[in-house]
Amino acid sequence: MIKASLRGLLQRKLRLALAVIAIVLSVGFLSGSMVLSDTLNARFAGLFATINENVAVQVQPTKESDNGERVLLSAAELEKMSKVDGVDKASGEVSGQGVVPFQSDTGDEVTTQTTIAAGTDGRDPLGLVELREGDWPHSADEVAISANTAKLAKVKRGEQLKIFVPQLGEPKNYRVSGIVGYSGGRDSLAGEALILFELGHAQEMFYGKRDVFANASFSAKDGVTHEELKKRIEAQLPAGFKALTGEEVTEQQSNVLGDQFSVFQIILTAFAIIAAFVGIFLIYNTFNIIVAQRSRELALLRAMGAGWGQVVGSVMLEALIVGGVGATLGLALGAGVGALVERMLTSGIGLGIESAGIVLSPWAVLWSYAMGILVTVIAAFVPAIKASSVPPVAAMREVVRPDKSLVGLTITGSCFLVPGLALVALPLLASVPQSTLILAAGLGLVFIGVMLLSPMLAKPVVRLLGYLVGWGQAGKLGVRNSLRNPRRTAVTAISLMIGVTLISAAATVTESFKTSLENDIGRYDVAIIVLGPNTAPPDGRTGYNPTAMDKVSQLPGVTDVASWHITLNGALGGQPYPGLAATDVAVAQRMWKMETIEGRLGKLSPNEFVIDDNLAKDRGWKVGEKVKVRIEAVERDYTLVGIYKATPTVSGPLLAEAAVDDFAGGLAYQGFVSVSQGTDVAATVASVDKIMSDYPGVTVGDMSAFLKQFNQIFDFLLRAITFLLGVALIIALLGILNTLLLSIVERTRELGLVRAIGLSRGAVVRMVGVESILIAVFGCLLGLVVGVGSGAALSQALIEADFMTTIVLPWTNLIAYVVTAILFGVFAAVVPALRAAFLNVLDAIAYE
Amino acid sequence: MSAAARAVDVWKVYGVGEAQVIALRGVSLEVERGKFTAIMGPSGSGKSTLMHCLAGLDSVTRGQVMIGEAMVTGLSDAGLTKLRREKVGFIFQQFNLLPTLTAEENILLPLAIAGRKPDQEWYQTVINTVGLADRLSHRPSQLSGGQQQRVACARALASRPEVIFADEPTGNLDSRSGADILSFLRRSVSEYGQTIVMVTHDANAASYADRVVFLGDGRIVDELHSPTAEAVLDKIKSLDLTVGAPE
Ligand SMILES: Nc1ncnc2c1ncn2[C@@H]1O[C@H](COP(=O)(O)OP(=O)(O)OP(=O)(O)O)[C@@H](O)[C@H]1O
Ligand SMILES: [Mg+2]
Repeated sequence: MIKASLRGLLQRKLRLALAVIAIVLSVGFLSGSMVLSDTLNARFAGLFATINENVAVQVQPTKESDNGERVLLSAAELEKMSKVDGVDKASGEVSGQGVVPFQSDTGDEVTTQTTIAAGTDGRDPLGLVELREGDWPHSADEVAISANTAKLAKVKRGEQLKIFVPQLGEPKNYRVSGIVGYSGGRDSLAGEALILFELGHAQEMFYGKRDVFANASFSAKDGVTHEELKKRIEAQLPAGFKALTGEEVTEQQSNVLGDQFSVFQIILTAFAIIAAFVGIFLIYNTFNIIVAQRSRELALLRAMGAGWGQVVGSVMLEALIVGGVGATLGLALGAGVGALVERMLTSGIGLGIESAGIVLSPWAVLWSYAMGILVTVIAAFVPAIKASSVPPVAAMREVVRPDKSLVGLTITGSCFLVPGLALVALPLLASVPQSTLILAAGLGLVFIGVMLLSPMLAKPVVRLLGYLVGWGQAGKLGVRNSLRNPRRTAVTAISLMIGVTLISAAATVTESFKTSLENDIGRYDVAIIVLGPNTAPPDGRTGYNPTAMDKVSQLPGVTDVASWHITLNGALGGQPYPGLAATDVAVAQRMWKMETIEGRLGKLSPNEFVIDDNLAKDRGWKVGEKVKVRIEAVERDYTLVGIYKATPTVSGPLLAEAAVDDFAGGLAYQGFVSVSQGTDVAATVASVDKIMSDYPGVTVGDMSAFLKQFNQIFDFLLRAITFLLGVALIIALLGILNTLLLSIVERTRELGLVRAIGLSRGAVVRMVGVESILIAVFGCLLGLVVGVGSGAALSQALIEADFMTTIVLPWTNLIAYVVTAILFGVFAAVVPALRAAFLNVLDAIAYE
Repeated sequence: MSAAARAVDVWKVYGVGEAQVIALRGVSLEVERGKFTAIMGPSGSGKSTLMHCLAGLDSVTRGQVMIGEAMVTGLSDAGLTKLRREKVGFIFQQFNLLPTLTAEENILLPLAIAGRKPDQEWYQTVINTVGLADRLSHRPSQLSGGQQQRVACARALASRPEVIFADEPTGNLDSRSGADILSFLRRSVSEYGQTIVMVTHDANAASYADRVVFLGDGRIVDELHSPTAEAVLDKIKSLDLTVGAPE
């Protein structure tokens, strides 16, 4: 049996090639994303290992802050630990975030991935950096900078460098006292900027007092292991601190970075799974058709006494081999592409870190094989069962395969579709708990239902489409061919439907959101928007100094200005709430036409706040409610004084301006400006931009510019989704190609016949093309209906939550998808159609 | 009267070198218009090959083939397709019909491919002659082998081609259904003046023809006019020596 199935495999290698390609692509996608992130991680791990090269032990606070006070190490505590037996040298770290240098010529901010800002007392005990020229900073007006920083900011030793420090609120000029570099003559570790302030000055700026450190690193004397030193230092640890070996620190730092990559990897994996799912349909069809074509051979085997299990086994063995071969090739492809993309990424962002080589983790190998083999085995299972049920007598006669009834499938499909639709409708019509979950479940059921109903839908829909494309006799024959096996047509079409569903759902939601925002924003009396940098999450230390807005309010034509302080580090009623805002609600009310639902808006006194109606409903709060609000580490009782109507533009809790005192810094993250009729907005934008030029990363624009920027983000997201679905779409294309090729082999004699009675080559090409286009467009239409429906349902749910106001169908996109489907059909048909057209007529007629 | 189809010194060689097979060795034949010609001969004698060459399904190695006034030899694929579409009808031994089409659609397929309107009167005559009036909306899978073959005959006749070529049209049928088909072909020649060339193994089938041409080892070795089954059988016996003669 095994021998028979192996021989069969070789004979069908061409037909199986496409199944293998499908696996290669989806496994390649998966393993590629894993190799990419593993390789990237290894590269960064190498970087951190360099940084911590001389660190034997590092002492860190167990938590960042305690009761709002930052946990710091005192000079005395550092001194005590440096006396521990075995410590060679000790170094206390002082560092700050959000520090940005400016370029000397243009006055623009230096653009780099990160800027490291630290304090130094002129010694670098652990020898990470070395002085190249000049001197260490000795006063509050001096800095030493890395050679890379000097290059980026275009300054030399002795010149002035403008630097923004969030704690100061305004940029300040420093004299460059010296240039430093890293060991090995490197200007930077990874393209970053490095600014070293005088120690005491840095401590005062970053921590508000002298003689304190964020953490401390120690090197070990010869013969003392890192573990041993860690134990000894642990005995001397101050409360609230922990000790880690240098290796542990490296791992910790790599993990922080790794977590960021893992989100990226999860997204890629999701799309790889979608691609694999699409592959299931291709492989299912391949095996199904192969089994159908082999039914005589299988029946013969059965007649000769092969058991049920042997027949199933022989088909499953083929599947295993196909899966294994596909997974192996996919893994190789993934490793190559993953490593290549990693190369491009790192060189693209100017990371000067040395590569650690291609990393192929055991997990990547394991998952690749699991996916490849699982997918084929699932796909081949039903055909295998079918193969085993071929009655032995079938060997004796010409096998006639009657159209199998679709009743069972249709009933099952309805059993999914109807409850699915009900679940989708439920949260849209009535307010129920867990509405998102119900909606998602409903959409899932609808999707499965439509998939199961697709063979039943194929006949009427394809016939209807046939009127459009089935011109001439060749076209008619093509339409008939696509109708002759609705299951096969449907299964092939589904592979395209999956991708189209996702894309069109995303397009519908995006389009609705864009239009809602456009409509909503048009209602307001806001002309200019100031936005903080998007490099770091807002907490009061990124953005602009609100005093700048006072200057803006002096500009001609400006009627109103508002500064919004925003922090992601807060909690509302005991639950973390990223996005607390503090602003003058009276101005906000004017600008954003906020509608009072309950209580009052207007100027708030300290410890007062207002929220939108959805949040109020969600939490069950009424006006007068006392609510605990935490900002950073400070928790206070606030009184809810008003509830306003949520709009797509303004929602969430707004705190009294006094709350800013609790923020990590006094910088405002967003600003809004209204102007009187007839004011030159462009000129005003330019003036505001000039005022804001001192604050790094702050952008200024008029409303339409921001809307455009916003739309671009959505368009980008949509493009990214489409791009990531590319592999799934290519597999769908291969699926159509595959089905056509196999059908053509199956219909060889028919082709010979129609050619003999006068159908031209061109007509044969058209016949195959029509079939292909019909399959593709059918799949596309199924996807569009389900996708747009899902998108509309999701949009409706977002409308209920006041995130948007209207549902808009993305017509241009939808038309583009149909056109693409037609092109897909044409592409997929090329090879099969030419094959069919160039069949030798006589051979075809005589074909067994 | 000009011939409906003509072969002049046709040679057909398959393969090269060791594997070379000479299927036809200088065959010259005129197929008379409005006559029923049968081609007989032992297996491998080149009957099918000759028919395929005459019908424009296969190219000849040497010599010329004409259908009516049209030269077949040297035509491109497009030219051959057009020729087959307009001047030739086919009945194969089996698998004559497209399973996706009804009997009626199958019958009208050559006309549809050529973009010609069927002559209603002729069409009615044809389906009445083959006795298919009540089966027209059936699919091939719902018809018996004999009925399928009758549909194939009707299809070949529907476009009134210059010549109909039939390669063992009764080879897969029982004698009763075979006789139906043969008498139907006979009638279409006698009553409607159709030209038919039929390859057969069966002396009885050949007796329906006006003329029987005997092939042996790629050559025409003899012929009979207005044959009876006995005469054909006798002829085969007398020719038996040449059967399978080594190269
Ligand atoms: N495509 C081909 N390639 C090589 N040789 C061929 C090919 N077709 C036919 N032949 C050879 O040409 C010779 C004539 O074949 P042909 O099919 O014409 O015989 P036939 O008289 O129709 O026989 P049968 O009664 O068995 O159908 C045979 O020897 C055959 O093997
Ligand atoms: Mg033959």
